[in-house]
Amino acid sequence: MTTDVEKFGTRNWGMIADLDKCTGCQACVLACQAENNIPINTQDRVERARSISWIRVERYWEGDFPDTKARFIPIMCQHCENAPCEPVCPVYASYHNSEGLNVQVYNRCVGTRYCANACPYIVRFFNYWDPVWPESLRNHLNPDVTIRSRGIMEKCSFCIQRINRTSRKAKSEGRELEDGEIQTACSAACGTHGIVFGDLNDPESRVSKLKNHKRAFTLLEQFGTDPNVIYLAKIDPNKKGSEEGHH
Amino acid sequence: MENKHKDNESKSGNFKLPKLPFNFPKLPIKLPKPPPPPTHLGDVELPKTLMYLLPIGGLFTLVFVGAIASFIITAWWGQPIPVLGFEQTFDQPINFPHTVHASTKQLDYKDADGNIMVGLGTDCTFCHRTVNKNTAAGANAYIPPVNFCANCHGVIGSEDNVQLNILRDAAGIIGDDGTSPINWRRVHRLPDHVRFVHEPHIRYLSANPEHIKGETDGVSTGPSAVCSTCHGNVASMEKVYQVEPLKMRQCVDCHRDNEAPTDCATCHH
Repeated sequence: MTTDVEKFGTRNWGMIADLDKCTGCQACVLACQAENNIPINTQDRVERARSISWIRVERYWEGDFPDTKARFIPIMCQHCENAPCEPVCPVYASYHNSEGLNVQVYNRCVGTRYCANACPYIVRFFNYWDPVWPESLRNHLNPDVTIRSRGIMEKCSFCIQRINRTSRKAKSEGRELEDGEIQTACSAACGTHGIVFGDLNDPESRVSKLKNHKRAFTLLEQFGTDPNVIYLAKIDPNKKGSEEGHH
Repeated sequence: MENKHKDNESKSGNFKLPKLPFNFPKLPIKLPKPPPPPTHLGDVELPKTLMYLLPIGGLFTLVFVGAIASFIITAWWGQPIPVLGFEQTFDQPINFPHTVHASTKQLDYKDADGNIMVGLGTDCTFCHRTVNKNTAAGANAYIPPVNFCANCHGVIGSEDNVQLNILRDAAGIIGDDGTSPINWRRVHRLPDHVRFVHEPHIRYLSANPEHIKGETDGVSTGPSAVCSTCHGNVASMEKVYQVEPLKMRQCVDCHRDNEAPTDCATCHH
């Protein structure tokens, strides 16, 4: 019997987030909330620090007043190759699949929250309550995404429903997947095309070309998690030795 | 090390059980004689047949409890045994006979002119149009809208047919309360954390008909034969019921047999 890897190829999904293009507009956050049936973060939940957002835009202030600059960085699950969340799960609800995704299996999860403790990026969220939507939003829910019930962990899935759907479409049409055909909700929503999604194993894909860019870096590199989300650093025109004429 | 081990062994060989403060009774123990069955209840003399009836009653109780237990066990492992209202089926708003539409055999029905009807032998995808399409709607085998049924049944079928008149009323052909959808009840339902899409399954089984399981009512090719793998011979059903348990074990077994992906994220996301 052949393994999944032999039969279905060795894809390695990755993402490039260009911080130079990020304006901090939060469109990705909104798109993700809508795509992935994320419960509404009411004031009550935010105040208790129990809000759920699979992608968030963190804001930093740089420099002293009046020369302050706002810096934005979108942070989602990094889909680490050496994910700290995976070995701690007692029920294998968090595991790595053959396509390089760090998958959370909701029906396996028993809600120990070990993975959230292990994750250095704080991108795993626990459902403390059953999600509730107003009646008017009932038909807005995405039928391709499971609604996570109370007591289980959830996180960015790299929009696996879109990956599956597009791969299925390509297969039924008898062709290979094209680079850029799969768009995650955040990359599709990004107004400046700052988020690029693709196959890191394909040397011709946009992500593999960008991952060796000289501005490329990964978050918390010192932990050796080897994330599949690669950031491109912000270009500072005032800084000496910075890249010129980008865009 | 070996010496040490030997020492331990010899020690355990010399070990003796402490003497118990009492003596064990020698086996076989003489059991106390069971009391004779009651012959009198107060002053009333009980019939002797009760002696035989009581154990039979106990036996029946055991069988009853066993039956309930087996129902629970089968519900857990597979599907309930289709008796005593445990069938995986529902009363629908209209008694829609799949036999008339999909079967190819002679039926018990008589048409408006009194002739014996023969099933139309329509393909499943004629009505369940989205099922083999790779669209967002293709994930489920949609029941067609009322107007789709009314395309034919606006004309076909007698005007006195009560069941058809429910449809015609819903489609706005008769009556004057406008159109309204029919609330069909879903028979085949998977848990909420399963993402099942029909299209790749139909595509694969159409290309590999040797993997089709289940029997079909004279239909050997095309989507209708493919559907029988999980849905059974729907064409022979007056009232659709669930044939297969449709549990994860069944999915995984079939995926393994056909070398389909068994990654969790294939179905659970």
